[in-house]
Amino acid sequence: MSLLERFGRRHLHDRQFARIWTTGGGHPHLEQCAACRVRFDDFDRWAVELGEQMRDEADAAFTPDRLAVQQAHIAHRLETLDRPTRVIAFPKAARAVISGHSHVRRWVTVAAAASLIAGFGLGQVVDLKRTLDRDGSAAAPRHFTTATTAQRANAIRPVSTSYNDEEFLMDAEAIGPRVKELRALDDLTPRARDLIARK
Amino acid sequence: MSGTSAASAAVREADATAASAVKAFQAAGRHAEARERYAELVSRHQRRASRIAYHYLRDAADTDEAVQDAFVKAYAHLPSFREELPFEVWFTRILINGCLDRIKARTRRERWLVPMGGRGGHGAGDGAQPQSDPSERMASGGPSPEDALLTRERRREIATALAKLPERQRAVFVLSHVEGCTSREVSALTGLNESTVRVHLFRAIRKLRTLLGGEAAPAAEEQRAKGKRRVTS
Repeated sequence: MSLLERFGRRHLHDRQFARIWTTGGGHPHLEQCAACRVRFDDFDRWAVELGEQMRDEADAAFTPDRLAVQQAHIAHRLETLDRPTRVIAFPKAARAVISGHSHVRRWVTVAAAASLIAGFGLGQVVDLKRTLDRDGSAAAPRHFTTATTAQRANAIRPVSTSYNDEEFLMDAEAIGPRVKELRALDDLTPRARDLIARK
Repeated sequence: MSGTSAASAAVREADATAASAVKAFQAAGRHAEARERYAELVSRHQRRASRIAYHYLRDAADTDEAVQDAFVKAYAHLPSFREELPFEVWFTRILINGCLDRIKARTRRERWLVPMGGRGGHGAGDGAQPQSDPSERMASGGPSPEDALLTRERRREIATALAKLPERQRAVFVLSHVEGCTSREVSALTGLNESTVRVHLFRAIRKLRTLLGGEAAPAAEEQRAKGKRRVTS
């Protein structure tokens, strides 16, 4: 037997089966060798079954009901596609709540204005109080902290720039000496108002 | 075979008529009628589209969305559809491109996700269907739990093997072997040369045969037989 004949008689491999199966043609060895023909039939059956199994798997996942739902979804999406797009105004919700009822709107407006005024007034009062507290604590010595507001007002006397010496002396005379022993000396002292009158 | 090609020719003609009608209705602004006529195309190609997308995405919910998107996109772009090309081919291209985009997006997304313990995630090997209640299955006269388990296991194996194929080989295999398209049709669908399609198909089937364990090499068989003989003698 020649080498060529021996080579020709060798059994076919799966690789060759795949080639034969893909091209759809035949092979001379298959006609001669019954064992290879059986193996090729087996290969062909395997390939056909593989395709069937894959189809079955997909069909099991996509039942007629599921396909009907899918079709409905497609129809809905196509409908949306054909419908012209709508522009939604922004923002609308806050206005829509009030616009329907005029009395509601009025009350809301009044309440807002009242709150504003009350807030402003309260802010002023709180501010004033804070200022007074600060001024009071700065002017009064520590031992006067328990005195009333009136006493504190008296204690704080404004300094007038037009307060001259004559006025000061007249005030001092009006009060008179506070110590009894000095009263005689005070009587000897000429009065400021007499001097002014003489002028 | 001639019966099949006659049927597919009839389908193509019906598709062309329906597509022309939809285009005309769209141009005339008669949208309700266009949608009604388009539903005919949807029902004709829906199952096939779902099968193709399912073998790409391996997830029923994702497939649903991909098929919906493809039909909506095809409807929106129907005015630009050239009628010398079959609607089926044009639509399948839209579908496959959509599936590939989804796979890319999923890959990007999964890159940032920490894998969870029990769930394998989408894609490779996730061919398992949601398990229904066994008692329900028995009552409805369905397959036995063993059969169901074997089927599920086999599907998982096929899905894993299919996921290991390069993208083009997978596409060619699914279209030609699962959907029964000819090399010429696959060539039109994928844009590949006919001989390239055959090469991809050959490689895909060879690899699947190896991966799914069906291969029985003659040399190995001979070796085994020789060994047996040696032991018995």
